[in-house]
Amino acid sequence: MKKYKLFIKKRIAWLSVLLLITFGVGVYDQFFASPAIVANPIFSFQAGFSASLCIFAALCIINYNKILHDGEKLRIQYNKANDERLRLVRYKAGVPILLVTSTIMIVVGIIAGYFNETIFLTLILTALIQISVSVIMKFIYLRKL
Amino acid sequence: MKTKIAQLRKIRKISQEELALAVGVTRQTITSLEVGKYTASLPLAFKIAYFFGLSIEEVFDFSEYVVEMEENNEKI
Repeated sequence: MKKYKLFIKKRIAWLSVLLLITFGVGVYDQFFASPAIVANPIFSFQAGFSASLCIFAALCIINYNKILHDGEKLRIQYNKANDERLRLVRYKAGVPILLVTSTIMIVVGIIAGYFNETIFLTLILTALIQISVSVIMKFIYLRKL
Repeated sequence: MKTKIAQLRKIRKISQEELALAVGVTRQTITSLEVGKYTASLPLAFKIAYFFGLSIEEVFDFSEYVVEMEENNEKI
């Protein structure tokens, strides 16, 4: 359980980095972005995406902190993370690699979108389809196993 | 694979949640094991049998595999 506590602490650290980066991007978008960037149609998508990532990171940090200070919740979370059936379901659904590649596609899509809208739409659509397939597979195997 | 987990739990008045916490899995995994949807790995099967103080064969029903083995042996 000590190792798992350390793992949770590392996760909190990484989420804090993500929170800082997305908060920084949000501050830049709000106060320092040039009018040319703001006028770009991709800007609103990018602002919304970074804001939602910021909120997600904050909520995860709060949740993990609660888990760290509650022995019962820590044990339940540990069981959930190491449950062999759930591991098999995650493996079959392609988690977490599909989520990682989808996130990369969205970030790259946003950057490329400032130059070419078609590339943006293609990458975002592909990422959404990937995430949908992963979610559907997860539900199928959760029911099957 | 059929198991006697549900009966053993009822006899000893143990909830699925308690068993799951004890053997290191989620309650849903215990449910799947009880209805025969999921087959436990050897370590998990051992943990469950150890929890009940029984052997693996007393908790899990291997009869279908015995029949399969006998059918294979007949073919040979």
